[in-house]
Amino acid sequence: MADVREDILARLLEVVATIPNIRTAVRNNVDINEDQLPAAIVFDGDEETNDASDVSMRPAHRPTVVQMTPEIVIAQQADEVGSDLTTLRRELIKRVLTDTELNEQIVKTGRHGNGAIRYLGCQTDVGWMRSLHGALRAQFMFKYTLRPEDL
Amino acid sequence: MAVDYSALLYDPIYAELGVPATLTLADTDGAEVEITVYDQTRRKALSAGSAEVTSVEPSAFARIPELTGKGIAVRDCYGAVLTFNGRSWIVRNCKRQGSPNGEDFGEVLFLLKEMVSTDG
Repeated sequence: MADVREDILARLLEVVATIPNIRTAVRNNVDINEDQLPAAIVFDGDEETNDASDVSMRPAHRPTVVQMTPEIVIAQQADEVGSDLTTLRRELIKRVLTDTELNEQIVKTGRHGNGAIRYLGCQTDVGWMRSLHGALRAQFMFKYTLRPEDL
Repeated sequence: MAVDYSALLYDPIYAELGVPATLTLADTDGAEVEITVYDQTRRKALSAGSAEVTSVEPSAFARIPELTGKGIAVRDCYGAVLTFNGRSWIVRNCKRQGSPNGEDFGEVLFLLKEMVSTDG
């Protein structure tokens, strides 16, 4: 059994946990307390294929290309929350896009296969709590081959 | 208006809930002013994408007549250090709350933030 989607998401959690100063790294946890900050939360991403327009006689179980777009949220409270988020974002992007296991073993980018990892962008929100609160939502796209017979 | 809300409403509230506090205004060379406040800290949650981050919004009420009587205008309180219940905070914002007898007889809600340590 090989489930690339699960392998990507599980590895993403391991990668964000290595970001310096991150106190909490969780997956799909929507209830975070201030004691856990700075926190990184990996949200399972939507998946898309182009198969809706494929009306060929191709067998249903043949491999197809999937694009998954997980979201990673980084939350922090600090007087200089903007600078903190910028630093955490930098480490996040660098670690996800350069992670050897994600690129070479799971998604198989470049000479390892036809997969791809792309940083799509981020959005920020701020507000006041005990101190200045900020959250950064970053989206990545993972293109990989879905092999139904391997599932 | 015949009803004196300061005597009938605010005096009992502050007598029961109020605690002594010191207010140190910015640009006053550390001069402390004794006032009475009551804690209004409440739970607060903000969204972080699909997640919700829970914390508190520290705040405290004070009476505008007491501040005025001690020569303090609300606008002077921004950036002041407010110490009560064993903790010190920075006043980051001031929200006036009027009384039926008029704004000058009402309260001010000090919105507070944690003091950042400067010792490294």
